[in-house]
Amino acid sequence: MTDADAADLRDQILDLVGRFYRERHAARPFDPGRDAVRYAGRVFDEVDMRSLVDASLDFYLTASRYTEAFESGFADYLGVSDALFVNSGSSANLVALTALTSPKLGDRRLQPGDEVITVAAGFPSTVAPIIQNGLLPVFVDVGFGHYNVDPEQLRAAVSPRTKAIMLAHTLGVPFDLDTVMRLVEEHGLWLVEDNCDALGSTYRGRLTGTFGHIATSSFYPAHHITTGEGGMVVTSDERLARIAQSIRDWGRDCYCAGGENNTCGKRFSQQFGSLPYGYDHKYVYSHLGYNLKATDMQAAIGVAQLAKLDGFVAARKRNHARLLAAMRPYEDRLILPTTPPNTDPSWFAFVVTVRDDAGFSRGDLTAFLEANRIETRGLFSGNLLRHPAFETIERRVVGDLANSDAVMARTFFVGVYPGIDDERLDHMIDAFSRFMDGDRVTGAGGAPPAAGRENT
Amino acid sequence: MAVVRRIACTVRQVIDHGEHVYTIELQPSLPVPRFRPGQFLHLALDPVGHDGFWPDSRVFSIASSPRERDRLSITYAVKGTFTGRMERELVPGRSVWIKLPYGEFVIDPTRDAVLFAGGTGITAFTAFLQSLEPDHTSRVELFYGARNAELFVFAPLVRACAANVGTLGYTLVDEQLDGRLGVEVAWPTVATLDEPDVYLSGPPSMLEVLRTQLRGHDVAHARIKTDAWE
Repeated sequence: MTDADAADLRDQILDLVGRFYRERHAARPFDPGRDAVRYAGRVFDEVDMRSLVDASLDFYLTASRYTEAFESGFADYLGVSDALFVNSGSSANLVALTALTSPKLGDRRLQPGDEVITVAAGFPSTVAPIIQNGLLPVFVDVGFGHYNVDPEQLRAAVSPRTKAIMLAHTLGVPFDLDTVMRLVEEHGLWLVEDNCDALGSTYRGRLTGTFGHIATSSFYPAHHITTGEGGMVVTSDERLARIAQSIRDWGRDCYCAGGENNTCGKRFSQQFGSLPYGYDHKYVYSHLGYNLKATDMQAAIGVAQLAKLDGFVAARKRNHARLLAAMRPYEDRLILPTTPPNTDPSWFAFVVTVRDDAGFSRGDLTAFLEANRIETRGLFSGNLLRHPAFETIERRVVGDLANSDAVMARTFFVGVYPGIDDERLDHMIDAFSRFMDGDRVTGAGGAPPAAGRENT
Repeated sequence: MAVVRRIACTVRQVIDHGEHVYTIELQPSLPVPRFRPGQFLHLALDPVGHDGFWPDSRVFSIASSPRERDRLSITYAVKGTFTGRMERELVPGRSVWIKLPYGEFVIDPTRDAVLFAGGTGITAFTAFLQSLEPDHTSRVELFYGARNAELFVFAPLVRACAANVGTLGYTLVDEQLDGRLGVEVAWPTVATLDEPDVYLSGPPSMLEVLRTQLRGHDVAHARIKTDAWE
């Protein structure tokens, strides 16, 4: 088969894929009596499917042309120098924090026992890397409405042992970056910015994920763009980029991509530790690393999704604004989401806390919504320290984490993702209205919302 | 190291400097990614295969300025099979494929620096020289050797940069007239600098001689940076 024949056959296959998408996956009208309103989901079209199949026809499997295009396109979107595609947002967090423990950072490296400040109400994989690296998590509380770190508690949490801050922009709302960056500068701290839920959010007009020394994104289907499984580590610090790549790629010192050799020109002429001089650089290990790489097929979806990101962000903002306007009359019973000064959130979800004196419980409301096929989710872990895996960890806690406990008891969210159209929004608003007017599900007895985010 | 990108390019211009030394100007199909002066690119004459593997390629210092996002230039001397093929095949309009940026041969702009360049080895420094601002405070002294006066390909650029930057000095060493580029000719100037880093770029034999001479002047090993290849 000639190259031209192969290209022609590939085009035929991809045209069939497009036809399959149109006949199998194209949107159909919403039926409120049958269809669920998901809290999140993959939003894709035939371009995504063609891209995926195109990569599969290459059958390179591991990182190749689509990974390069996705990494460079993602770096361009954020305006950073480096982006490393990994197999999940949780892996991205693990790589990002572990990179800061590298001996290559000299005195600035994080060492066992160093403190890392984070919040108690979040997602476990923002916190787990701290513990997995032998560091001490310092937990502070969050505020209502934005569900981000309380700035006063954050200031109070800093001690002489504090070396880093690792925080997520909760549900797309940027945390108080003025305060955080001031502390980072004053105390010489590292900032790891978990941007998994906030792709496209801005603070003072600048994209989140570009403030930290290193930041992360997630592409699980619940997120702003998806690759199925997948995540990204980004930084504009080339030294951190090299270290992060090493951590991702088995801990090796060499940065050649798979299938490449000697791009540095020094593969057999360097000295590392007590290894024999000239030991093959491809097999020199400078870190205790992992293999957290993703595939070129995932990247192919990412390339197509990235082209749609601006539209996705706009849809999320539009849906959130519509829900917020519709919920305003119920503010006496619900704490509605707030937009802190200087922020323009790219909303992950529409989050609500049932007030103490609302006259109904969160479970009453979520049971009603779920009965109307409107998915609800708790704000991830609630107070993480009440979970079995975290109950006995060594930690320092600032304050009583009362809000984190309240989040666990009274907060939930519904979706704003681009798959929610006007008909679905109408259905959601109607369900909220009927509940607020007294409609109830018989037998609803305070069941919590479904388990938290499956998102990284 | 910034994200490495593969970019298809079109040869825009080929400048023949004589004695099988050429400068190639490339028109990239995508904006040139950010790179640091002193970094290099891989250049392939054949497209990426259907198996996805990068084809046979060679590395070349990026001679153009990092400020230019819509063009790239490299300079090479014909030394083997691959560069021989370049000499035969590269004409305006020809497609080539590059990936970049690579390398850590990057000059610390905050410290005094001595640059030794032999022949086309100057291209490891040209991007740096073009990046210097008029108010650059650290001193930079360039010693640029070539086999004869016609092969000072970048002498006009060096002169232009020096005219613009008060702290940049340069010496051209015409090997036909002055003998091989060596440390002795540079030492009176080097001795006036504040613990400079010394950067070496050129043929392997020249690098070895310069390293030996620098050690003879008690220049610490850590201060000698070499653009060396296997």
